[in-house]
Amino acid sequence: MPDPLTARLKQLIVETLRLEDVAPADIPDNEPLVGGGLSLDSIDALELVVRLEKEFGIKIASSEEARVALGSVATLTSYIRERGDPARLPS
Amino acid sequence: MAESPAPVRVAACGCVTAFGDARSTHAALDRGESALRMVPVLGREGGDPVPLALLPGRALDETAPPAWMAAVRALAASAPAADWGSPGRPVFVTGSNFGVGGLYALRRSGQAAFAEWGAPPTCTERLRLELGWGPDVSIASHACVSAHLGLLQATRAVQSGDADEALVLSFDFLSPFVAGGFHALKILNAEMPSPYRERASGSIGLGDGAAFAVVSRDRGEWVLSGQSLHNEMHHFTANRADGSGFAACLSGTAGAARGRRVWFKGHGTGTLEAGALEVAAARAAFPGAPVVGWKGGLGHTLGSCGLVELAVAVESVRAGRSPGTVGGAGEPISPDVALGGFATGGFDGVVCASNAFGGAHAAFLLTHD
Repeated sequence: MPDPLTARLKQLIVETLRLEDVAPADIPDNEPLVGGGLSLDSIDALELVVRLEKEFGIKIASSEEARVALGSVATLTSYIRERGDPARLPS
Repeated sequence: MAESPAPVRVAACGCVTAFGDARSTHAALDRGESALRMVPVLGREGGDPVPLALLPGRALDETAPPAWMAAVRALAASAPAADWGSPGRPVFVTGSNFGVGGLYALRRSGQAAFAEWGAPPTCTERLRLELGWGPDVSIASHACVSAHLGLLQATRAVQSGDADEALVLSFDFLSPFVAGGFHALKILNAEMPSPYRERASGSIGLGDGAAFAVVSRDRGEWVLSGQSLHNEMHHFTANRADGSGFAACLSGTAGAARGRRVWFKGHGTGTLEAGALEVAAARAAFPGAPVVGWKGGLGHTLGSCGLVELAVAVESVRAGRSPGTVGGAGEPISPDVALGGFATGGFDGVVCASNAFGGAHAAFLLTHD
């Protein structure tokens, strides 16, 4: 049973970035999101950050912080779990 | 890459920033002052506070006609009088945003008056009429190297004999639309910029700016001894990590600087990676040149920065002293970075460099007779 937050984040990545031919389950947990196999770039990262801020009530302060958070699905999951509005996290 | 085959001269130049004219700006920077103040990123609509350097008394929100028009009018009046906009004296208008904030204001307010300031052709036509120029006016815009691009176009017009002299006017005034865009990218945030310093995270400030330069074949004491432009064509918001884009651009000016002792006025917005790449490229191209950046005090004046900082560089040489790298705290990322001001008397010229979104780089070597 996948972690609900991880599953939601993968779904958000596919939806927000309109990834074709990629299913949420295809996105690995520990591979780099930007510059990795998904071929995401900084504009994708910007779109994703805007969506994540709205969805989970977080505030990413700088591009360096965004880069750390978007290191992988696993790092993003940890980041959102630590800083997101608990009421908005999937259970 | 383009390198000018023969130097042209700068017969006159000037600028307006949040500090005032070029002389006031130079003096304030040399005192280590910063014009940046924390302002809500969306103006009257609020938002996170971010460091902006606005013209005195100007609010971030747009007006129609723009509140900055008075500053542009005064700046243009300080340029030498001539039949600008005639075939022999063309005008090159440059900037990165023109009045694009007007489109956002139009969307928010529904007031049609914002529309005619919201795009480069209409904004430039309004400027042309306001300033009494003839029809020979061109627009050059390429993000934050726009002023350099206009300078090079003017240089070519003069070198080719198509023009006797050319006026380059560059301007960029902030708006919620512009500030909001940089804020969304997470590079304009709640921290003051600290160009060329060791930091955990980077941040820039933005500033209002406008400037002019008159390019002439044989009039003026300042010489554009070399100019170069280069575009990496790598990525919209990122440079090649090996710094090759910075190096390629500066190599186009390094030849003209050979045998001269120069100082280097860098772009230095406060972003970490670009700052480090720029300083490394400057060190390789101009060994021993002290590196300074002024955007920690001025804010980044975007497309106008090349001309704004040209005017400040001229004031520096006139005063015999360059301001240091203004703003922030922390150790410099390289011993080449001059945090404090220094005498310019022992130097033969200054290299002024700018960089832009899209992987664009520009530089020129300014020398003095």
